[in-house]
Amino acid sequence: MAMEHATLNAIQKIVWEGNLPLQITLASSESRTYDQTDPYLISYPRISYLPSLLPKLKAFFSSSLIDPAASPHDGWFSFEGVPLKWHYPVGLLYDLYAGADPATKSSDVDYSSDSPLPWQLVIHFTDWPNEELVRLDAKGMVMNDAFINSVKEADFVRNGTAKGIMSLSKDDSSGLWKAVQDVDLPSFQRIMNILLPQPNQPFRNLPIRLFLPLPPKPDSDSDSPTLKVVQSPIPPTITATQAASQTSQSILLSSSRILPGTGSPQTHQQHQTQTIGSALHSILPHLFPSRRTPVLAKPVLHGAVVPMSAPVEEVVRCSAYGDGWVYIVIRMMG
Amino acid sequence: MAAGSHPPELEGTVSTFPLLSQDDFKSACRAFLDRVHRANVGWSSIRFQSAGSILKISQTLDSLQDQTLVQSVDNQDTQDSQLAAYEEDSEALIHTYDTHDTLQIDYDILLSPTYQVPALYFVLRRASMPLGIDEVYRYLVPEQYRENIQSVGIMGGISFGYHPVSGTPAFFVHPCNTADAMREIASGHRISPEAYLIIWLGLVGNCVRLQLPSELFATMGIPELEHIE
Repeated sequence: MAMEHATLNAIQKIVWEGNLPLQITLASSESRTYDQTDPYLISYPRISYLPSLLPKLKAFFSSSLIDPAASPHDGWFSFEGVPLKWHYPVGLLYDLYAGADPATKSSDVDYSSDSPLPWQLVIHFTDWPNEELVRLDAKGMVMNDAFINSVKEADFVRNGTAKGIMSLSKDDSSGLWKAVQDVDLPSFQRIMNILLPQPNQPFRNLPIRLFLPLPPKPDSDSDSPTLKVVQSPIPPTITATQAASQTSQSILLSSSRILPGTGSPQTHQQHQTQTIGSALHSILPHLFPSRRTPVLAKPVLHGAVVPMSAPVEEVVRCSAYGDGWVYIVIRMMG
Repeated sequence: MAAGSHPPELEGTVSTFPLLSQDDFKSACRAFLDRVHRANVGWSSIRFQSAGSILKISQTLDSLQDQTLVQSVDNQDTQDSQLAAYEEDSEALIHTYDTHDTLQIDYDILLSPTYQVPALYFVLRRASMPLGIDEVYRYLVPEQYRENIQSVGIMGGISFGYHPVSGTPAFFVHPCNTADAMREIASGHRISPEAYLIIWLGLVGNCVRLQLPSELFATMGIPELEHIE
């Protein structure tokens, strides 16, 4: 039974209201007072991007900076020595790197000393890590470009063409980025409704990416954990035969989606709704041997474990990030 | 004609045209590598990395003379001396030319999981230092393409983003219009995976100086496009 539109809206509102407490410290090598600089504290929306904080941070730390000539867009963030990719929303970065246990219904926020909250980040204004992070510019064009490219990709996955985003008016396409920056849900919904297929129209595929944190590469000199991002075409419904096959591979799904109706002859197959569980099982069958129960790993979205039975299309409609993508972090059990 | 109904003897055809499947992409890369090796010319290095399925091509460029060192598309006179420099060891070549006038370009061609067409990522370096978008336009984008490319999107048709496999910063040519461009050129034809890749390289590679040396086609023409009746 599909969830009511009102319920999806209510979930989306909660997602957009989700905040993370951040404690941002100036890199001690860049501070006149070394490690004695007061940290900057803020409750920051999970769906927001870190560079939007840079003007405030530059102003806050400017009296402490050894090199006060640095520009806000020279700023970059790190957590435990790992430069943070600014094109990911901060909530995703936290779920990926903070090592926090995802929330469950009964858990309360724990601010004890070993708690990952507030999330402790370090801000740097010099020594941009060129090999790891794309440089920002003064006008914020690079960030805007990265956001729109991501929106376009999600649109292409949903419709099979990028015509939706191309047909947006100039005001609406810049308005979408502004709405996300301002965490302005009503404006966001108005523009997103132009892009999203109507509830009675099926998505071609669902914009979902999985993030697998991996141990550091043995041959690399850095200790930072590596990341594998997995993406595969996930249709909103699967046929009964695909659902029954133990090794229903993503390749099988992908080839059957490129040109629907080719390959196997059309029969009256039963269509089943694609759930988070069936999608995970098809993309990562070894980590998700069951479609119903997380056995070895669990899917984390916006700091919470997503139910395996949740239809992916509904998750996309109510819980996607501002660029239209659902980014799920895969966490090993235990 | 529905792609699935091709008779079996036409199995070398891209059935998902204008999109390309991962299997067709791999077989295209293998066929193209064979062609490059047979022709015994090429870039300072070209190889297929199976982790992530990436066709990797490197070349060096003399930024002062503004011409490629390792390519000799139509200059026969200089070909012998350049061939001597190719050798097998690409590292040696890089070091030989590792001066401030020399640019190193590493191209990665991979299949975009979103658009299901090949996508071109590249990094431009001088003395091992990555260069920015201004240098990319100055050294890599031929003048006749410049205006056209810069007018697309927020930053133009070339963006600076993250390499989908390595996660490191890289430039890329937007792949969102590739399927339409391929359709315009080859629709109504049967097209092999390699022909797809070669046409694509002609369309996208030329915009950023990844040109196909003519030697590649000296003994073996471009796989012919066969009209579908």
